[in-house]
Amino acid sequence: MKVAVAGKGGSGKTTIAGTLARVLAQGGNRVLAIDADPNPNLAVNLGIEPETAARIEPVPHSFSHHSKNAEGRYSVGMDLSPEEIVARYGTSAPDGVTLLLVGRVESHQAGAG
Amino acid sequence: MRGILEHLHTSESLLTVTDMEAGLEHLKRGTLEHAEVLLIVVEPYFKSLEAAGRIAELARGLGVPALYAVANKVRSERDEVAISDYCAARGLPVLAVVPFDADVAEAERQGVAVLDSAPEAAAVGAVRGIADGLLATNQPEREGRVAD
Repeated sequence: MKVAVAGKGGSGKTTIAGTLARVLAQGGNRVLAIDADPNPNLAVNLGIEPETAARIEPVPHSFSHHSKNAEGRYSVGMDLSPEEIVARYGTSAPDGVTLLLVGRVESHQAGAG
Repeated sequence: MRGILEHLHTSESLLTVTDMEAGLEHLKRGTLEHAEVLLIVVEPYFKSLEAAGRIAELARGLGVPALYAVANKVRSERDEVAISDYCAARGLPVLAVVPFDADVAEAERQGVAVLDSAPEAAAVGAVRGIADGLLATNQPEREGRVAD
């Protein structure tokens, strides 16, 4: 199941998202928590220490498509499987939740829209 | 971001909970198209209700299959009625009512998860209800059991 949590800023959506992810994991589900907010703070709501949270590397936005740079070379790190992405960029949170930061919308990808 | 979310969601046994960007503008980009269930967190005041109404409208336009409101920071019967009336008028089922909870505010002050600082908090209990509600609506044999 793919659940998204939206709401106005300050509505408590992140607290609810983080608590929900943990509660679902406590129930024996494999849970991936995804922070898609450009101002990420889901980590703390999942119970990750602030020092650890500050060091989390976001999933790069360029992995899933091939883009040539000025020298005509392809960028590295694309075409990872979901499992590889989780293994490489996932951070373990309490109750077995894994957190991914996906952050900002990539401007050149969104440019067509 | 859209590409990443779609890609991650190819893994079937995984349950994902995505904390979306606050506000509305990004929803137009189609970042919600991957979602099967959207929870719209709403507080009992006019601007929050209005924002929830617009988010619901956008999400419907994007074809998100299931939309629910989650009433949050509810302090009174009057708060609850304000939210349920607004949502009922827009055909938006209220999945849960999360009470205003001083334990949540305290956890935020301390920078910890309320589930760790106050696992028995009323708000945590309400979120457990959301999890149960989601899992119940996700059953294949759900005839007549969809929360509304």
